[in-house]
Amino acid sequence: MLAVEALRGSNGEDRDGSSDNFSVDGDFAGGTLLEDINFSDLFMGIDDGDMLPGLELDPTETFADFSVGWEEDLGSPAVGEATDGMLGGVTQDTVVSEGEKDLRHGEEATSETTAEDAAAMTSEARSSTPDRGRKSSAAAAAATATATTGSQGKRKAKVDWTPDLHRRFVQAVEQLGIDKAVPSRILELMGIDCLTRHNVASHLQKYRSHRKHLLAREAEAASWSRRRQVHPTGRGVKRVGVNPWLASTIGFLPPPPPPPVQPFRPLHVWGHPTPEAPVVHMWPGYLSARSRSPTPPWAPPQPPLPPPPDPSYWHHLYQTGSGEGWVPHAMAKGAPCFPQPSPMVRFAAPPVPGVGPHPMYRAVPPTMGKHPSSQLQLDASPSKESIDAAIGDVLGKPWLPLPLGLKPPSLEGVLVELQRQGVSKVP
Amino acid sequence: MGESSSASYIRMVQHLIEQCLVFHMNKDECMEALAKHANIQPVITSTVWKELEKENKEFFQAYMKDQEEKASEMEAVERRIQKMLAETAAKDSDKED
Repeated sequence: MLAVEALRGSNGEDRDGSSDNFSVDGDFAGGTLLEDINFSDLFMGIDDGDMLPGLELDPTETFADFSVGWEEDLGSPAVGEATDGMLGGVTQDTVVSEGEKDLRHGEEATSETTAEDAAAMTSEARSSTPDRGRKSSAAAAAATATATTGSQGKRKAKVDWTPDLHRRFVQAVEQLGIDKAVPSRILELMGIDCLTRHNVASHLQKYRSHRKHLLAREAEAASWSRRRQVHPTGRGVKRVGVNPWLASTIGFLPPPPPPPVQPFRPLHVWGHPTPEAPVVHMWPGYLSARSRSPTPPWAPPQPPLPPPPDPSYWHHLYQTGSGEGWVPHAMAKGAPCFPQPSPMVRFAAPPVPGVGPHPMYRAVPPTMGKHPSSQLQLDASPSKESIDAAIGDVLGKPWLPLPLGLKPPSLEGVLVELQRQGVSKVP
Repeated sequence: MGESSSASYIRMVQHLIEQCLVFHMNKDECMEALAKHANIQPVITSTVWKELEKENKEFFQAYMKDQEEKASEMEAVERRIQKMLAETAAKDSDKED
């Protein structure tokens, strides 16, 4: 930090490399401190994990690696416009070069450009840049990325995993088979220049762990009902004939009825629509479930909310920042939330059963309450813990997509109604 | 401007309600759960629920139907269990003699 500060200080005032440590070519016009920074100097004093090992490499080599990627990224006109003066870094190449290495500097740049950027970037960036952190200077973005991802040890160009990009990624992965999906092949399949194998590899890693988590939760929910079913199946036989859904065993267990409500296939929740179900853009889950689902038809797909793969992917959704509000973001991200199109389709989907965690026993509906001799207090509500967990999830991670993606009520309607009820304002 | 806080609050409530729906809860259970776990006034929950219902009539109709079916299933189950318990109890008392 100090080294940078010093450099910056001197740079700001004295562009022309008054000191002879500037080995970087003074060609960079409109130089800003970013541009004038001498890498070797920078690195000399700094020796920690953050600053990527092996940076003594010729910067130009590394630029080559990144500039391609950056070009795409920085193509937006807003990039150039948003900055001025001190933190210029307008020149894409320079910025590129700075980006990865210049963590600390970038961090500062970040804060300073934020204000300008927010304004300039919002409209442009909205559709293509989920990451609010995408500042005009790649430096900041890179800094954010590397900072966010911690020191992964390797240098990686920051890639914007837009919903579109992600979708292609997933398509490629599915084509190859999740286990066989090798980054290099994925890259080929995606055919996107600005992606390095590295980007893909790390994205793949995240995706895989995300899936695991989802599957785990799904399995957990599945075991809910499985447990109920797995009882001596003797008696179950009779019922089976009656209704295949009533697969459960003894009369003890409430058979799982095919629910009209089909919660999503969590695997798809991660912000993108299934390629196979163009119609149901949002919750393709249950429609395509058959084709993708490894679990037996039985297993209730799990309730909602997978952990966000990475807060930066999603948090922009909830960052107001700009005038767009939430919905547009949602759309941009492949809107996992409100399936405007064909809600009908969802309900029509018979298929894969199971619905959320199956209640153990239905909580005493009023009609049942009147069993005086009842020694059983059948409590059908889902366990308190899981409700609590689910609710906690929602509260804590607002960016998560809505599990059912119901059409939202009109805001006015709700507010009016609330007023009618005497609630003056929502907390 | 960004989303108003009311709007985002309501969205949150909707999200929570959807979670409850995943758990097959009915409106009252939902109100209770949200009040308990998320400190949301039941009246708000109720209002949002109703509005959701209006916007998604089909869904809710199917949902309610399903709830009823389940309720009756539960009844049947409970009856059966009662019976079994009774039988077991009878057997036990026989043995004890």
